[in-house]
Amino acid sequence: MQKTYKYILLGLCLLTTGACKKDWLERQPRTILLEEQVWNDPKQIVALLANFYDRLPVQTGLQDINNNGDLDGRIAQWRDMANFDDAMWSGQSNEDGRNNIPAYGFDNWRLWNYSFIRDINLSLENIAQYGARLTDDQKKQFTAELRFLRAYDYFELVKRMGGVPLVTKQLVYDYSGNASPLQVPRAKEEAVYDFIASEVDAIKNDMGNDGSVSRANKYTALALKSRAMLYAASIAKYNNLMPAPISTPGGEVGIPASRATEYYTKALEASKEIINSGVYTLYKVNPNTGENFYEAITKKSGNKEAIFVKDFLTPQKRHWFSYDNIVRGIREDNLGSSSITPSLNLVESYEYLDGTAGALKTRTADNSDFIYYTNIGDIFANKDARLYGTVIYPGATFKGLPVGIQAGVMAWNATRNAYDVVEGSDLNTTYTDGKTLTGSSGPHRSIQEVSNTGFYLRKYIDAGARTSTRGIQSDIWWIWFRLGEVYLNAGEAAFELGLTGEALTYINAIRERAGFGANSLSTLTLARIQNERRVELAFEDHRLWDLKRWRIADKLWNGNVSNPNAMVYALYPYRVVRAGDAARNGKYVFVKMIAPRFRAPRFFQLGNYYSSIDQAVINNNPLIVKNPFQ
Amino acid sequence: MQRIIISFLAIAFIAAAGCKKDNYEEPKATLTGQIVYDKQPVGLRSNGVQLELWQHGSALFTKIPVYVAQDGTFSASLFNGSYKLVLLRGNGPWVNNSDSLDVTVNGNTSVEVPVVPFFIIKGANIGQSGTNITATVTLQQVNNSLPLDAVSIYLGSTTVVDQVNSVAATSIAATDIPNVTQPVNLTVAIPPSLIAKGYVYARVGVKTAGIAESLYTMPQKIELK
Repeated sequence: MQKTYKYILLGLCLLTTGACKKDWLERQPRTILLEEQVWNDPKQIVALLANFYDRLPVQTGLQDINNNGDLDGRIAQWRDMANFDDAMWSGQSNEDGRNNIPAYGFDNWRLWNYSFIRDINLSLENIAQYGARLTDDQKKQFTAELRFLRAYDYFELVKRMGGVPLVTKQLVYDYSGNASPLQVPRAKEEAVYDFIASEVDAIKNDMGNDGSVSRANKYTALALKSRAMLYAASIAKYNNLMPAPISTPGGEVGIPASRATEYYTKALEASKEIINSGVYTLYKVNPNTGENFYEAITKKSGNKEAIFVKDFLTPQKRHWFSYDNIVRGIREDNLGSSSITPSLNLVESYEYLDGTAGALKTRTADNSDFIYYTNIGDIFANKDARLYGTVIYPGATFKGLPVGIQAGVMAWNATRNAYDVVEGSDLNTTYTDGKTLTGSSGPHRSIQEVSNTGFYLRKYIDAGARTSTRGIQSDIWWIWFRLGEVYLNAGEAAFELGLTGEALTYINAIRERAGFGANSLSTLTLARIQNERRVELAFEDHRLWDLKRWRIADKLWNGNVSNPNAMVYALYPYRVVRAGDAARNGKYVFVKMIAPRFRAPRFFQLGNYYSSIDQAVINNNPLIVKNPFQ
Repeated sequence: MQRIIISFLAIAFIAAAGCKKDNYEEPKATLTGQIVYDKQPVGLRSNGVQLELWQHGSALFTKIPVYVAQDGTFSASLFNGSYKLVLLRGNGPWVNNSDSLDVTVNGNTSVEVPVVPFFIIKGANIGQSGTNITATVTLQQVNNSLPLDAVSIYLGSTTVVDQVNSVAATSIAATDIPNVTQPVNLTVAIPPSLIAKGYVYARVGVKTAGIAESLYTMPQKIELK
């Protein structure tokens, strides 16, 4: 008994003396990072920034992510490229709804990713509060970068929703039972654009990251300003030219016409600052103008045109865009391919190099007969080189391989005195004369994962070996900003300000790179600029937003089957079989038609100019004013 | 073997019992109605105009969309209760009215939703003239807060004819209509596909600037001569 007691006493003594050892209980947790640790360690802050860069929303992009709403706010839906007039869906038939949209929903393109805004606000406050051991320069740079990301996200919000609540501080509930301090009303639409401009002005000299394309620097911020100011200006101008401008009484939607000039001036100034800096140059490395334009988007080394990109470097981060969209005949996987197929509408918007309109010549002038082409690609001769860089058309090559695009044959029927159209029931079929009937890449009227329009996508498709397989995947980057767009922004802003001479230098520079001669244009119209943006920036997530800010989307896509702009057209090439007529036999003819898998005309209503706000948001915050038509 | 049969029976029993419990009863009441101006039905685009039904008091406070047919009628299957019927702003060809209409649904209920259109079509004489369909339209401006945008005639092969569902159409823009009170003449060529059928359905629509939807006459069948 006594012995036990002694031992216990001894044990206690040992324990107490041991416990007196300094900081015995004060240990650093091994599984939790403390605020002081995170906000004083540049490496951890950069890791966090990587997360924020990754969360920048984009409507199309190259990925398939949709965490819109109350999750982390990521959105990138490459399939949406097939929802407009530049392309249609030719992939798996379970997505054929994209060819049959009765009308765009008023909730389309909605974004409300305040979870992202909050995370940035939190980081800004924490850097200021805890980042004592960061140098002043580091603090400035991280703060500037975060503010850039926030401004970019507000631009994404305002171009979709109109004016949104401008929240620049963390909102914390005080458990008082009264949540009204957390309810922020919508800012005016112009106020959000002004916020973006003032943020860029405030941070542009602190950005650092010179020469980086995947982290924002001074010119990235200016590119954002250039685009945002152009959007604001055109809304100010063109919204008020509508018979009944779209607006709310509080200005949450609609910008006064009086501000147009100011915004155009700001857009031009920001664009000029980038152009005149000499840091970036239009990509003109490859003497083949078509290949050069393809490389301007996709080439990573020595590309001085890219300003800001989303890169996919590590193998886990690669994307499936090439797997899903490569030409059917040269796909390397056993599935996938051909999803986004450019429309004839887009192809014909590329002009001829002599400056004439781009409509392809398939019929003789008196419409009595086809025009017969010796080689299948001859119909595309002397087109704007950007067509080659954007679209794979019959007769073109990709990865050094010819693409077998041929719909069938036109067999002359002497008794009927007309052609019989013969199309294969499958790809890679042979006609009775032993030559190709339907090519390895179609087009085909009904088979899925074969082009339905007769065209395939080249822009953003990886030319690297085996990049269209599910095992390897593609690391092509997504372009947020490039100098080509800045030239077009400058050109449009200068044109709207009446500085046509200056505008022409910018627009002609872009056209010269596309294979037009120097000074190919001497006069300028808005329609010309609109077309120039369509052909230069196709599939770079511009078309929808451009049509919205010019307020012509509801006219172009009016939902009427007899309106050629609202329908998606296809071009089917046929080989002529006409024995005894050497001038025609073996030549190629082309038929324009509404794409067979395309069902409903594009229908953009006035209520689509601003996406509707989710009812749950309005329920939570009664100060939110509904959008018009909502 | 017996055991298998018994277990199958047990599964079947559970499945059958499961069908009864925890399924909600379907809504049995039907709300029908019509959009009217001056006691006359308003012609619209098929499924183009939407009304909203709201019911306060439920945890999930969100709208029940109700689409309106081209003759201005609508219907919805609902539970009995009181609802608020709201006209969606800027959606239909009428003046915005933020006042909601209280609707008490008890069994089969019918309501009339009165609206004030910007323009109405007082009369439309539609007929064939050779290879064309012609129409003489008399408009009346009911509310002058928004200007006229265009007057159009639409041809189709079925009774569903409107801006979106048409085979042929002609529009006269407001700039070519100097005086709204004077009759407007519209001419549209009959497309070959309709000539082959021997009849067409025609409708005239009047579009107000800044309003997405037009107001239409009722579809009229014209036997081709």
